[in-house]
Amino acid sequence: MDLEKKLEILADSAKYDASCASSGSDRGGAGGTGSAHMSGVCHSWAADGRCISLLKILMTNECVYDCAYCINRRSNDSPKAILTPDEIAGLTFEFYKRNYIEGLFLSSGIVVSPDRTMELMIEAVRKLREIFRFNGYVHMKVIPGANQDLIDQAGLWADRVSVNIELPTDKSLRLLAPGKTKATVLGPMSRLAQRISASKDERRSIKSSPAFAPAGQSTQLIIGATPETDREIIKLSEALYDKMRLKRVYYSAFVPVSKDNRLPALIEPPLLREHRLYQADWLLRFYGFTADELLDEKHPTLDLSFDPKTVWALNNLDKFPLEVNKASYEEILRVPGIGVTSAKRILRARRAAPLSLDDLKKLGVVMKRATYFVTAGGKYRGLKKDSGEAIKIKLLEHKNPNGQLDLFGEKALVKEGLTGTVTGQL
Amino acid sequence: MSATYTYDGTFASFLTALDLALEKNLPDSSLARETETEAGLFSEFISAGSDPVKAARARDLVESRGSAESWQHVRFAFLSEVRGSETAILEYVNLLAAKGPIADSMLADDRVKKVHTLAASVGGETHMFKGFVRFKELADKTLYSKIEPDHNILPLLTPHFRARLGEFNWVIHDAKRGKAAFYFDKRLIYAPLTAERALEFDGKEAEVQTLWKHFFKTAAIKERTNPKLQRQNVPLKYRKHLTEFE
Repeated sequence: MDLEKKLEILADSAKYDASCASSGSDRGGAGGTGSAHMSGVCHSWAADGRCISLLKILMTNECVYDCAYCINRRSNDSPKAILTPDEIAGLTFEFYKRNYIEGLFLSSGIVVSPDRTMELMIEAVRKLREIFRFNGYVHMKVIPGANQDLIDQAGLWADRVSVNIELPTDKSLRLLAPGKTKATVLGPMSRLAQRISASKDERRSIKSSPAFAPAGQSTQLIIGATPETDREIIKLSEALYDKMRLKRVYYSAFVPVSKDNRLPALIEPPLLREHRLYQADWLLRFYGFTADELLDEKHPTLDLSFDPKTVWALNNLDKFPLEVNKASYEEILRVPGIGVTSAKRILRARRAAPLSLDDLKKLGVVMKRATYFVTAGGKYRGLKKDSGEAIKIKLLEHKNPNGQLDLFGEKALVKEGLTGTVTGQL
Repeated sequence: MSATYTYDGTFASFLTALDLALEKNLPDSSLARETETEAGLFSEFISAGSDPVKAARARDLVESRGSAESWQHVRFAFLSEVRGSETAILEYVNLLAAKGPIADSMLADDRVKKVHTLAASVGGETHMFKGFVRFKELADKTLYSKIEPDHNILPLLTPHFRARLGEFNWVIHDAKRGKAAFYFDKRLIYAPLTAERALEFDGKEAEVQTLWKHFFKTAAIKERTNPKLQRQNVPLKYRKHLTEFE
């Protein structure tokens, strides 16, 4: 099989992994080729609008497991391919020097055994680092069940490491991924967490000690293949951020890649739900929200009509309107229509001069949403009565300004979900 | 009668003009590139020339009344090459001179907002091109890239590629402005580059391009096809020199 065909098969099999980040590492400097950029760089965007930053491939799509949701399951009789460590290293370097990519994202199906698979993957990355003297970004998947020493080696060669949880509960794992258990996934994850934090501590005292996955670890959850609620998912993410110190949790709307009676019959991937989960995730990481504030047992599902911050604000109208000239940064962050950037701008600008409502627009605040929740110099342009329902209707009208108010706002919503990118500005 | 100070297109001449305008401090004065001035009945044109002492004085004013951040705003806004950016910078520096460093916090003031926005646009395009530059390997192993950015970002791009591809020889050619950055034997120079010889590519170049195009096509998930989102992220105007869209 020629390289072109192999690449096609192995890129096709890797594309369902949502992780694209190339951020969080600032490798480079001393000779060799390449550097990693702290904020990450996107090089292109594919026809689905997702960023391409890394050469995202599998080493092989052969696999001893038979996970129902996975395109590479043993029972799928699609063509199989394998790349040698030399091919992986060479291809990465040729792409990198033409500035197509920031680096390599290497995952794999399991060939022979988890240990053998990890060994081959490590060999590919070692060659890239030592023979090509490559200082660019490398994201390596850790294969569940692999030996601890191999996991430790992976962390020394890579900038970021990850183990995919894929299914949020043990029950779902047992149903769809009979070869995996929660323990085989969480075991390596917590090992990585320990090593990352130990290496950070060491490097604080001895700068020359080796960096272990300096860009941290991430994971992915598949959305909509199993019946978990948004609350279960967001609670899990919160625990992963707090306890495992993960850098990112990715959510991947389930795309039916196989017909299997254990899977739901989905017509199209739940993209809007995925979008809402990303918004909730951003609220956990950058806006100081807790999972319990966003969803409780009575309301375990994210509202598809409104972003989760607006829902929270509508349920907490007693905290609004906020005076933007006085409120704290943490309070301002909770206003719908104000993101991290505009909140910071408000704090800076109000040191120079008191702000008016018109000024807020110039600072980048989305006033059509924020107007119901803020005052500036005592002035308020929202609704007279503090009625959550009335505000809801106004907000929906804004979403659907041309046509009649359709009660569920579905068309506008689907559009929002499909075109929305995850910028984190809510 | 208002005065327009003109400069020859270089940053040094621009700073000289800026210094002259600040010194005279007339209301309604403006700054413009020599080639972009229109004869007006009621305005006087003063050609600033290029004077290193005056240029240094202008920079010193920006840094001492403002900060390193203010200087970066001036530099980036100048590189925007947007019509009217020069006068916007003059008004911004006047405000810095009057108010001191707090001026950079007056984010809702139009004089500040204009320059900050221009600078952010230049910074943003620079970041995008760290991703959008596409090199092709020539027969002599030089990596060659052609770009046509809106702003004059070449001087802001080169440090990134110097750090990244320091062991290669490379050329980044700004075809829109007819100039290029040449990095050979670890030395960087800028020079005009207009007439283009037919390029002779390395024997492996076509094959690697094909592999990349295949990878690019395969990376999209069919069920999520979203050309609108793709256009938002890779505007059509940038696609001309992107290998994967060729």
